[in-house]
Amino acid sequence: MKVVEINEVQKTYHDTEVEVRAVNGVTLSFEKGDFAVIVGPSGSGKTTLLNLIGGLDQPTAGEIIVAGHRLSELKPSELIDFRMEHVGFVFQSYNLIPVLTAAENVGFIMSLQKWPKEKRMARTDELMEAVGLSDRHKSRPSQLSGGQQQRVAVARALAPRPEFILADEPTANLDSKSAETLLDIMEKLNREEEMTFIFSTHDVRVMKRARRVITLEDGKVVSDVRTNHSA
Amino acid sequence: MITSIAWKNVWRNKTRSLTVIAAVTVGVFASVFALAAINSSIVQRIDSAVNEELSHIQVNHREFRSNSEITNIIPDPAAVVATLRNTPGVTDVTGRIIVRGIASAPAGSAGVEISGIDIEKEKQMFTLSEKLIPGTGSYFGTDTRLNSAFIGEKLARELQIIRYILTPESFKALEEKGIPAEVADKLKPLEGQRFTTEKRLTEAYTDLLTQGEVKKYGLRIREAAWSYREGSRIILTFLDFNGNQTGAAFRICGIYRTNNDLFEATSVFVPDGELRRLAGLEEGVYHRFIARLEDNDLTDKVTPVLKEALPDLEVMNWKEIQVDLAMIADYINQIYAIFMVLILAALSFGIVNTMLMAVLERTRELGMLSAVGMNRRRIFRMIMLESIFLSMVGGFAGMAVSGVAIAITNHTGINLVKYSEGMEAFGYSAHLYPTIGADFFIILTVLIVITGILSSVYPARKALQLNPVEALRGE
Repeated sequence: MKVVEINEVQKTYHDTEVEVRAVNGVTLSFEKGDFAVIVGPSGSGKTTLLNLIGGLDQPTAGEIIVAGHRLSELKPSELIDFRMEHVGFVFQSYNLIPVLTAAENVGFIMSLQKWPKEKRMARTDELMEAVGLSDRHKSRPSQLSGGQQQRVAVARALAPRPEFILADEPTANLDSKSAETLLDIMEKLNREEEMTFIFSTHDVRVMKRARRVITLEDGKVVSDVRTNHSA
Repeated sequence: MITSIAWKNVWRNKTRSLTVIAAVTVGVFASVFALAAINSSIVQRIDSAVNEELSHIQVNHREFRSNSEITNIIPDPAAVVATLRNTPGVTDVTGRIIVRGIASAPAGSAGVEISGIDIEKEKQMFTLSEKLIPGTGSYFGTDTRLNSAFIGEKLARELQIIRYILTPESFKALEEKGIPAEVADKLKPLEGQRFTTEKRLTEAYTDLLTQGEVKKYGLRIREAAWSYREGSRIILTFLDFNGNQTGAAFRICGIYRTNNDLFEATSVFVPDGELRRLAGLEEGVYHRFIARLEDNDLTDKVTPVLKEALPDLEVMNWKEIQVDLAMIADYINQIYAIFMVLILAALSFGIVNTMLMAVLERTRELGMLSAVGMNRRRIFRMIMLESIFLSMVGGFAGMAVSGVAIAITNHTGINLVKYSEGMEAFGYSAHLYPTIGADFFIILTVLIVITGILSSVYPARKALQLNPVEALRGE
């Protein structure tokens, strides 16, 4: 089942009279349960493509369809609701809400979606355990290590059961052990919850785990390889 | 959740938040306390006007106020009294005969309004008897000699019945009051000199003493020099009912002190019988009836009823007689609200600045919130709530501090005797007992919330203008 369809998408920026084509005619699709990475050198358009898929940005041309929604037809306010309902984000810098505890951060999007309290708490407990932080419910982000914060961010992204997770350089700020732990957890969640993960990364550790590697260069897909890593 | 985040965000930068909260606290405290002090002087002035001078409603002959001829008496007084007594809300009624005349003493004379009163009734209806200066008599007392007069301190001074004189007895009193001999010696040049006012005496001893001595011993010197001979007499002269000049000597049975210099200087009270005899007025004839109501709040309700019932007479309540005071009383809450709006508007700049800093340093976080699906309405609400919390914490702290300060000073009073001359000339007390209604705090709470909301608009707009992609990138 296709979760994301990208047809001939272009994104052009006009930066001081110079036209920069960050994404240049990309056509791709992602299936439910994919564990895919988008790789490429800096400036190849990885993050831009991720932003377009996530509805954070609109393409200059082409079409993106996510869970039946044509993103170009959505108004800005509808795009925000779309992101809340269908997309989970994991950022390089974790981006947790510093005034909330780990558990509150995990429950945050569910509370925006007005989940009943009991259901929200049960899901939070489940995910905190899944990411190995069941004893850190009440810890603030500042009391957690980088790896632990990123695990909370993954749990937050997964909590409302989105269509897919977009993870932009999720291991870039982590040491090897933390990165491996995080990837173990993501693989497990991909397997157990059949959650689609789309990464943008430079990290070889992530590439090694991926079952699909898409390479971008100058905004174009130069290769799209399925590997035989089993989740 | 949004409310909880907003509250926690307020305390992210404690120093910055506490600074703006302290500014709001001090601003609210200072303005509420100042308003309570102003309010107290107005409340006290209304209280004095109603309880000492005017009561709630007065009924006169239509011509009497503009032309106070002795002949402008109220027709059919028995019927008027009956109407007043039968009107719901009226608790007490008394009549006065009133003549304009001259009060004279050996050292001076002054124009006065002489009211012939029913002593017992007036004692029930007015608190003027409680304003008797100790040592000056006993408000007509048990001695019901007819030729007694109850006069104000200001008039007594003008007639030089009260004066300030440092006699040998005064110097003994100074010693008893603990004033050092060297200070008393400095005052020797003033011995035997008469001062008609407290101000003149003060000026005289200020020239002789150091500033510290004036401050420390001034009150005791004035007390020791205050001189009044009990039983002093004045001559009251006026035109009788037939237009002939008449008059008599009246023994001063007491001197009252109010906060209203004009009232004190012009209002002389004598027993109704003696004045009636001198003026040639028959028994049962009156120039004015005065009605007291159950409650001051009934004034506006009862007045039109009486105006309709007594169409041939002039019925006026205290608000119509003291128009300026009534206007202040009626609009005081609006005046306070405008004052508070101005203060809070000034404070809002501090809140806007703080909120703007909070938004600008959280660009990345706001970008993340927008990315994960927090819509514009929720972001706006979060910023607005932070601003409201900031204002309300400061506002409530300010209200609490001012509430305590008002409670304490309402008990102890604030002494503004230094400025009493100016204040009492306009009928306002130099001793303030700050007070303010609970309804004012409700209005203030609403104003503080509005301040919080308005202060959040600009920072919230800034937050909404953020593009999530740029905000997430912009570290």
